Amino acid sequence: MSTLEIGLLYGGATIAALFSGIPIAFALGAVAVVFMMAFMPAASVDTIAQNVYEELASITLLTIPLFILKGAAIGKSRAGKDLYDALHTWLHRIPGGLGVAVVIACGLFAAMAGSSPATCSAIGSSGIPEMRRRGYSPGFAAGLVAAGGTLGILLPPSIVLILYAVRAEQSLGRLFLAGIGPGLLLVLLFAGYAVVHWRTEHRRAVAAGVDNEILRQEHFTLKEKFAALPRVLPFLVLLTGVMFALYSGIATPSETAGLGAVLALLLIALVYGAWTLADLKPIFAGTLGESGMLLMIIGMSLLYSYVMSYLHISQGAAAWIVSLHLSKWLLLTAILLMVVVLGFFLPPVSIILMTAPIILPPLRDAGFDLVWFGIVMVVVMEMGLIHPPVGLNIFVLNRIAPDIGLGAIIWGTLPFVVLIGVAVVILSVVPGIAMWLPDLVYGK
Amino acid sequence: MAHGIDAAAAGGPPPPDVPDAGVLGAVQRGVNAINDLMAVLSSLAIGLAGVILTWEVVGRYFLAIPSDWQDELSAMLLIGATFASAAWTQARRGHVAIDALGQILPPGANRIRRRLADLCAGVFCAYFALKSGQLLMEAWEEGQTTPSAWGSPLWIPYLCMTVGMGLLAVQQALQFLNGPRRA
Repeated sequence: MSTLEIGLLYGGATIAALFSGIPIAFALGAVAVVFMMAFMPAASVDTIAQNVYEELASITLLTIPLFILKGAAIGKSRAGKDLYDALHTWLHRIPGGLGVAVVIACGLFAAMAGSSPATCSAIGSSGIPEMRRRGYSPGFAAGLVAAGGTLGILLPPSIVLILYAVRAEQSLGRLFLAGIGPGLLLVLLFAGYAVVHWRTEHRRAVAAGVDNEILRQEHFTLKEKFAALPRVLPFLVLLTGVMFALYSGIATPSETAGLGAVLALLLIALVYGAWTLADLKPIFAGTLGESGMLLMIIGMSLLYSYVMSYLHISQGAAAWIVSLHLSKWLLLTAILLMVVVLGFFLPPVSIILMTAPIILPPLRDAGFDLVWFGIVMVVVMEMGLIHPPVGLNIFVLNRIAPDIGLGAIIWGTLPFVVLIGVAVVILSVVPGIAMWLPDLVYGK
Repeated sequence: MAHGIDAAAAGGPPPPDVPDAGVLGAVQRGVNAINDLMAVLSSLAIGLAGVILTWEVVGRYFLAIPSDWQDELSAMLLIGATFASAAWTQARRGHVAIDALGQILPPGANRIRRRLADLCAGVFCAYFALKSGQLLMEAWEEGQTTPSAWGSPLWIPYLCMTVGMGLLAVQQALQFLNGPRRA
């Protein structure tokens, strides 16, 4: 059989296995093993466990469970609510300040916890009821939190960026720094939309001439503002301290993950008194479930990629894309559209692991900086977390605010899908938004 | 559809498609006890890895103690935790799958699809456990070690993989035999 025929068969078998409902990890592993048996030397299947172990034993990959533990510790505490409350007291004078506080709280929490659903859950559980009480439409409130939650896969310590760094053989430090500018851009876009939307709802309420909560003025004294800070500051110190340890050379990425997890557990023990077995059990249960599921997908995806490379499928596909002689920007657009479509069905982790060997060589040949591309790809995958029909954040919010209804949540997220698209265009036109910080720290 | 990098934490009670009555229920209760033990050990392993890596920073930066074994030990603990807790996660259906066809197929056909999916996943995991077991025997008999200066024995991670994938195959077999819950 030719490489093309084997490649088409491999792709077809993968789609069939994934859509059959076999867990993603085992579907990829099973397809890889079947093709090893059919097209590779007989002895190759004897080393599948060794392949998976050797690929997983990358200390960069193994930061993932520890960053998840850090996120679970912060996510299961009241830190999210305290963060949102503190920002609300400080930002209430801005028109639509409540929505702006929600967006900034999502960004900060995402950077502390590194998880989209945890961010939606932590900020949404207090932010959505408060926004609704203050007259915001339920769909908009849910859409704002869902969009803010997507920052969890872009801001450091993003697990998606860790995987991309390993797969694309790019510096994790550069990628983490490159995520900050686009993260701030998205915060700005979401917060700007929150202000515009608030003004529209406010104008309507004034025109209607009836009493509406959105017209009510709120006041916080300076004492109330400062009283909100003590519970929040330790976590902000943790956020900046851990990043300082990484970029000042005190700790490697794996040590940063370990340090962050231990410090997060210590902080929730000190600030919230969460140190009993009953407090720790859900934190470790959440960590085990999430990191076990993820690392299993990663291990089997690496086996899947190994087979794809051995059979020259990835090289053949990459060479075919290059042979099309697409213009630089058409190539980028085609690849990003493919990522959007894959985002309908696959989690970001699988998209990166399965497509990287095929799409990265043509992009490198076309002259794209792979750190910049990684950031753009992650921003595009953020859409997948909130666009219908299967965005994960939509379902998280439907669980914490079921009375809003799935339809209203989906309509509420759509403007943010468009805003993320706008961010992708801006990043393409002004790549410096992503690259100025890593270039400043590491040089070009 | 389960979807997402940080998709639903797998904590919480097992869903109703885990057998709870008859012979299968009795076997499942035994497997649950082992799964719970593995979950505790895995949690300890993850926590210990965090402490070791923190110690690595403190030791190197403040006490000038060289770091030569910490990364490797942490990697072993985290890989061990991943495989050892795999069946515990599976009992809660925590390994994410694409369930798009479930929205389209009639209930009867969907139940058959889910059962076949459990069967295929179980067969793969059993095969993986078998291959891990063969590597474990080789590593034990030949005294294989990692190529690092620390040179830790390779039978330890292979043991975790063999036991974890074996337990995972048993858990999947139980879920296959019990059949999926009715939608």
